[in-house]
Amino acid sequence: MIKREQRLVRGRSRFTDDCDSTDTAHLVFIGSPYAHARIKEIDVEQAMQKPGVIRVITGKDILAYTNQLPPQADYSATRFTWRLAPVYALAVDRALYYGEPVAAVLAEDETTAKEAANLVEVKFDPLNVVTDSQTALHSEDTKLYENWPDNTQAHLSFQMGDTEKAFAQADHILPVSYREGRASGFPLEPRGCIAKYDPFRETLTLRGSFQTPYLQRHNIAATLGMSESRVYVESLDIGGAFGNKIHVHKEYTVALAALLTSRPVKWVESHREFIVTGPHQRDVDWEGEVAYSKEGKILGVKARIVQNLGVESTNKGIATLSLFPACMAVPNMYKIMGADIEGLGVVTNKSFYCAYRGYGKDKGIKFIEHAMDRVARELGLTPEEIRRRNYVQPQELPFQQVNNYMLDSGDYPQALQKVLDMADINAWREKQKQELHNGRYLGIGVVSTVEPAGVAVPNSQMGGLTQARVQMTADGNVKVFSDRTEIGQGAEKSHAVIVSSILGCSKNIVDVQPVDSEYIGQGPLSSRGAVYPASAVHKATQLLREKIVKCAAAFLEESPDRIILQDGYACSDSNPAHCLSFPELATRAYYFPGPRKLFKETLLEHEHLLDVTTTWYSPSTPETGTTYTTFCNSADVAVVEVDPEIGSTQILKYVHVHDAGTIIDRQIVDGQIHGGIVQGIGEALSEELRYDEQGRLLNMSLAEYLMPTAMEAPDIEIAHMETPSPYSETGSKGMGEAPIIGSKAVILSAIEDALSPFGVEVNDSPATPERILKWIGEIEQN
Amino acid sequence: MKININITLNSEPCTLEIDTRETLLEVLRNKMGLKSVHRSCLEGECGACTVLVDEKPVNSCLVLAATVDNKKILTSEGLEQKERIHPLMQAFIDNLGFQCGYCTPGILMNAYALLNREEEIDDQKIRKSLEGNLCRCTGYVNIVKSVQAAKKEKDSGNWW
Repeated sequence: MIKREQRLVRGRSRFTDDCDSTDTAHLVFIGSPYAHARIKEIDVEQAMQKPGVIRVITGKDILAYTNQLPPQADYSATRFTWRLAPVYALAVDRALYYGEPVAAVLAEDETTAKEAANLVEVKFDPLNVVTDSQTALHSEDTKLYENWPDNTQAHLSFQMGDTEKAFAQADHILPVSYREGRASGFPLEPRGCIAKYDPFRETLTLRGSFQTPYLQRHNIAATLGMSESRVYVESLDIGGAFGNKIHVHKEYTVALAALLTSRPVKWVESHREFIVTGPHQRDVDWEGEVAYSKEGKILGVKARIVQNLGVESTNKGIATLSLFPACMAVPNMYKIMGADIEGLGVVTNKSFYCAYRGYGKDKGIKFIEHAMDRVARELGLTPEEIRRRNYVQPQELPFQQVNNYMLDSGDYPQALQKVLDMADINAWREKQKQELHNGRYLGIGVVSTVEPAGVAVPNSQMGGLTQARVQMTADGNVKVFSDRTEIGQGAEKSHAVIVSSILGCSKNIVDVQPVDSEYIGQGPLSSRGAVYPASAVHKATQLLREKIVKCAAAFLEESPDRIILQDGYACSDSNPAHCLSFPELATRAYYFPGPRKLFKETLLEHEHLLDVTTTWYSPSTPETGTTYTTFCNSADVAVVEVDPEIGSTQILKYVHVHDAGTIIDRQIVDGQIHGGIVQGIGEALSEELRYDEQGRLLNMSLAEYLMPTAMEAPDIEIAHMETPSPYSETGSKGMGEAPIIGSKAVILSAIEDALSPFGVEVNDSPATPERILKWIGEIEQN
Repeated sequence: MKININITLNSEPCTLEIDTRETLLEVLRNKMGLKSVHRSCLEGECGACTVLVDEKPVNSCLVLAATVDNKKILTSEGLEQKERIHPLMQAFIDNLGFQCGYCTPGILMNAYALLNREEEIDDQKIRKSLEGNLCRCTGYVNIVKSVQAAKKEKDSGNWW
């Protein structure tokens, strides 16, 4: 297989849509036109008569052939309120959100399937709709799930540190509220897969855009009532994921269609379908208060977050689980006495929720960063000064944060100083003053964040165990297997860098394998790629190295501590001419072991000479009270100009300083930063899923759901610091989500600064031109 | 209705029988197997299916194949010469001008047209020209950098 970059850039990729075979049948879903309705009847007769239609799958098939979807995170046995509702692969008796799949048509080709979908008659009985979380919380007459007392799915509360004492000691208490609109992660390639059932071996194979094949297999097997050992899930090239592809959704029905018909079944989702049916994210309201001293020391926080989860999700609890980091991340990297945070997850008739870059950790941090700005303004301090006065100091690290997170390493004040210097913040402040005289509204935002990264959560499928295998093949090349799918984040290259540096060989002989469900792990979610899978691969490669050295020592009749590995050779350091190339060494180890000079004990102690499979688990595990292993930190400065005439925002400068520990590959880390920042800018300025009163999504096309184009995205200056993490094998930290958190916060902070002459609080997002004009009173509120 | 069209596809003249309802995207992907032309939003909003028609970038999802009779079509498969990677592609690899790679072929074609069209380019011109190509991974920074690097190759004569 040619290397990934060659494959993708030279148009030889294998995305799901690129894979066809002559006997493939195509599946198309039918979505509910109502946000809440009883399904009275589905008439498939007319559709079935259309030539080329193979089968129509409805809720009846789902009830007959599949189980309820399995719970993926369950805290119902804890002190928290935690509810799970029954969910099936398709709506079986009620549609609960606009676009919810109620049936699927299988036909010989996609066009026929689409045409036949229009011939399926579904009779609905519309029910009351609730889309707003506040209304849902107090609604008596619109309850989504009969057996629940109300629409609360989860109610969490965390008492971290001594918040009462903090509030008692405070000089001031400031109320702070903050809202975020609903967003879609929207990878450019929506979901899709091809399912094949082999009736002879009784095996089911799904190939497609899968972010976490190992977990996805478990859930597919459980839903179809199959043994996991007979189900395979394989990732093809993935056109972006951002967390949106960690769970299984319509894929369950694709699998069932293959089982029922023994035909290969292909399904590729359209963009509108993806935006409508989710997953969605954000959509939160914060209300709280911050206690602080007159010197600008933040003492405590009391806050409540309400998350609009939409319907109970097909990922059964993983959506709700995001409330945990939302609540717990509030202290960020600040030394506070206490935080009492309450989290409410509310179900409504919107599409379901799942992971999107940030997941929940972003929410707590954006809230506290906004609160920091408010406090700074009250005290007449700059945003950098308020942060400086509250940081955990470098000499205190590792530091057990009040939320139990073990902040591992870094230098927060230095990162902040560096970003201020790079941005030349004083010059911008001077320019801001001058330009205000000219009627131009410039604003400067400063934020800092830690990103809790690399997750392992009890009571969920996100348990944290991660497996890797590194094998030297008989020809001296190296194969690497892990759970870390390549979603564009550089998994393949990053693994190759780790392996080649440990084995002393070129990256070109390292082949990182496509990921399937055979290797245990959660895949690249929660920025865990550089923590868990990278550590597992590192550990396996170290063990392989020992084996290579032992074999080389035997073959070269040298003591193992005299063997060095470099440039693809194993050599004696006392006699450089005494060398074996990796191909020579591997061939001898594989095919000529035994009496030919290999140490007997080397043979006896190894299950295989040059093949290692191992697992890695974080030294700071959930068992010790923290869910995240590493904490990268970053600081952002943005300068914007807001035009009060039309409410538009333009980004004039963007600077980002990042410390992700040891950098495995600079280009990859930079790429993650650029991409995350621009996604955050989209959320800050334009991306919001809007629903009407009947619960219909209003903006489902790319012309209406506005992601940044090259014109809105700014140029981005980056500097790195490298403080290794003591908790990962490579010293590197997860960092994929940090940029989206900081960038959204800093843009909103800069807009608030720009609008300070109007005395506006920018506590709602996205800050669309319409909202900005409302804030400054140019157009009527509501 | 079925008709025949004559086109020059990636420098090869060919005659194709098409249905008049088919889009250029469908013909290129399904009939000609050119899978670099990504089927994406199908509404002309994302740019992932961009190809060149007589050297101009178009969203092939919005173009009826019947309208490209007697025209020259170029897809990113056609940028390579005898398996030799095009310097524009190499620039994207060297500068990590892609991550997931889904938007990449469309962006390459748009950038190729830009570089052939304009003698002088700057970052702003590149951004303006790529406005119709959505990328969700890179934040566009390394795409702009890749196009600048390709421009240097072109100026030094390493181009076709």
